[in-house]
Amino acid sequence: MRTLPAFLLSLFAFAFLAGAVAAQEHDETEEAAAHGEELDALHHSADGFFLDFEPIGKVELPRMFVVRNEEGGLGFEFFLSTSAAVASGEYVADAGGHGEETEAHPVDDDAPSEAASRGGDDALADPLETGIVPAHGEIVADLSFTRHTIFMLLAALLLLVVFLPLGAKYRKGIGRTSAPRGRLQNAMEATVIYVREEIAKPTLGDNYAKYMPYLLTAFFFILFGNLLGLFPYGAAMTSNIAVTAVLAGFTFVITQFAGTKDYWGHIFNPPGVPLLVKPIMIPIEIMGLFTKPFALAIRLFANMTAGHLVILSLLGLIFAFNSIFGPAVGWGTSVAAVPMTLFVYFLELLIAFIQAYVFTILSGLFIGMAAAKHEHHSHDDHHDQTAHEKAVQASAPLVAGSKGNVYHEEQKTVGTEAAMAFSTS
Amino acid sequence: MTLLLASSLLSPHAGLIFWTLIVFGLLLFVLGKYAWKPMVSALDEREKTIEESLTRAESALEEASRMQEDNEAARRDAERQAQSILRDARDASDQLRSEEVEKTKAQLAHLQEQARADIEREKTQALVALRAEVADLAIGAAGKILDENLDDARQRKLVDAFLDDLPQK
Repeated sequence: MRTLPAFLLSLFAFAFLAGAVAAQEHDETEEAAAHGEELDALHHSADGFFLDFEPIGKVELPRMFVVRNEEGGLGFEFFLSTSAAVASGEYVADAGGHGEETEAHPVDDDAPSEAASRGGDDALADPLETGIVPAHGEIVADLSFTRHTIFMLLAALLLLVVFLPLGAKYRKGIGRTSAPRGRLQNAMEATVIYVREEIAKPTLGDNYAKYMPYLLTAFFFILFGNLLGLFPYGAAMTSNIAVTAVLAGFTFVITQFAGTKDYWGHIFNPPGVPLLVKPIMIPIEIMGLFTKPFALAIRLFANMTAGHLVILSLLGLIFAFNSIFGPAVGWGTSVAAVPMTLFVYFLELLIAFIQAYVFTILSGLFIGMAAAKHEHHSHDDHHDQTAHEKAVQASAPLVAGSKGNVYHEEQKTVGTEAAMAFSTS
Repeated sequence: MTLLLASSLLSPHAGLIFWTLIVFGLLLFVLGKYAWKPMVSALDEREKTIEESLTRAESALEEASRMQEDNEAARRDAERQAQSILRDARDASDQLRSEEVEKTKAQLAHLQEQARADIEREKTQALVALRAEVADLAIGAAGKILDENLDDARQRKLVDAFLDDLPQK
C-alpha cells in the first residue's frame, strides 16, 4: 500500500507533463505562426487574466477596475470576463504594450467596432495577452482577479478548510487532554510543533508565542501556495512578486512594531562605532531595514519561478529539437528530458517545503533580532555577546544548514543580517 | 517579446497586491483566532499535563523507592537485633553452663574432701580402737600364757614396749 501515494504522485506528475506538453503544442501551432517562436517558458510562468486549461480551453476571470472617467470622477466597473469588458465597448485591447500601462492612450472613436472586428488570426490583438485599456478615461487601479489571485484564494480556502475544523477539535478537547486523533490532525500537529520548536523558539526566544500566529499562517500559506503550483493546470501564487512582496511587507511591518529601543538605537546610533564612521553606518543600517524584506520577497519569488521555468525549459528542449532536427531527434530528446523534468518536479516538491521554511525562519529571525533586548556593549576588543548576536548565532546554523553554507562567526558585522538573508537565497 | 513578458513577470500587479493584503490579513485574523490559538494553547496545555504527570510519576517512584529502602533498613535492623539477642542468649547459656559445671566440680571436690576427712578420722579412730583392742588381746593372751609369771604391772610395761616397737602403720 505504500506504493499508492508514490503512484498517485507520479500520476500527477505525468498529468502535469501531459498538460504542459499539450499547452506547448497548442502554443507552437498558434504562436509559432504568429511570432516564429517555439516556446516561451516565461509566458507560462507569468500571471494572466484567465485559467489555462489547455487543450480544453481557457476560463476568463472577472475584471474589476477603479476608473477615473473623463469628467474626473471615480467609478467602479465590473465585468465577468476580459471578453465581456471588450464586448461592452468600454475597453479595447491594448495595442501599445502590456496590461500594466495605465497611461491613457489616444483612442479612436470607432475603437470598439475596431476591436470587435479583429479576427482570431491576429494574435497580438488577443486582449487576454495584451491587456486592455479603457476606451474613455483611465484606470486608477486594476483589481481584476488573475490566475495567481485565484490560486491564492484556493490556498486560503484550503487553509481554512484544513485548520478551522482542527482548531474546533482542539477547542473541544481532542488533542488538548487526549491524544490527537486522525492522520490529518497528527500530521498538522507535527508541522505546527516543528514550526514552534525549530523556527519560532530558536529565533524569537521566550516571547515566541506572540508571533506564532503570523509564522504559522505565513508558513502554511506559502507551503500551500507552493504545492498548488505543482498540480496540473495549477499555478504557484508564490511565483508572483506581488504576493511575495506583500508577505515580506507583513514581516517588515511586524519587525518594526517588534523593534525595541535597542533596535532603533542600533540603527540610528550604532554602538561601538567611531563617531566619524557613524554617518556612513546609519544609511547602511537604514538600507538594511529594507534589504531584509526585499531579499525575502525576491528569494521566494525567484525560487518558485525558477523551478517552473526549469521544468518548462526542459520540456521545451523536446520541441526545440523537434523543430530543428526533426521528429526523431525530438522523440529522442524526450527520453532524457522527461526523466529530468520528473527529477526537477520532485526537487520542486522539496523546494516548496524548504522555501516555506526559509521564509518563515527568516521572518522569525528578523522579528527576533528587532525584539531582542540588548545588553550593553563593553568596549573590550572582544565585546560581550549581546542577545542580538546570540539570536543570530542560534539561528545561523539552521538557516545556513538548509543550503550547506557555513556561517562564520567572524562575519558578524553590521550588515550580517542582510548578508545572511542573501546567502540563503 | 521576451523582454515584454519578463517585465510582466517582474512588475507587480496592483490588484494582486490588494487581494493578497486582504486575503492574508483575513487569514491571519481568522486562523489566528480560530485555529492557531486553540491549537497552540492545547499543545502547551498537553505538554504541561504530560510534564506534570511525568514529574508526579517520578516523585511517586522516588517515594516508593524511599519506602522500600526504609523497609529494607528496618528489616536489616530487626535481623541484626535478633542476631544480637540470639548471641546474647547463647553467651548467657554458655556462661550458665560453665558456672554450673564449676559449681558442681567444686561441690564434688568438697564432698571428696569431706569423705577423705571422714575416712581419715574413722581410720584414726579405728586405729586407736584397734590399738586398745590389740593391747587388751595381747595382755589377755600373754596373761594366759605366762599366767602367774608376771604381775600385772610388769606385763603392761612389756606390752607397751612391744607395741612401741611395732611399726606405726
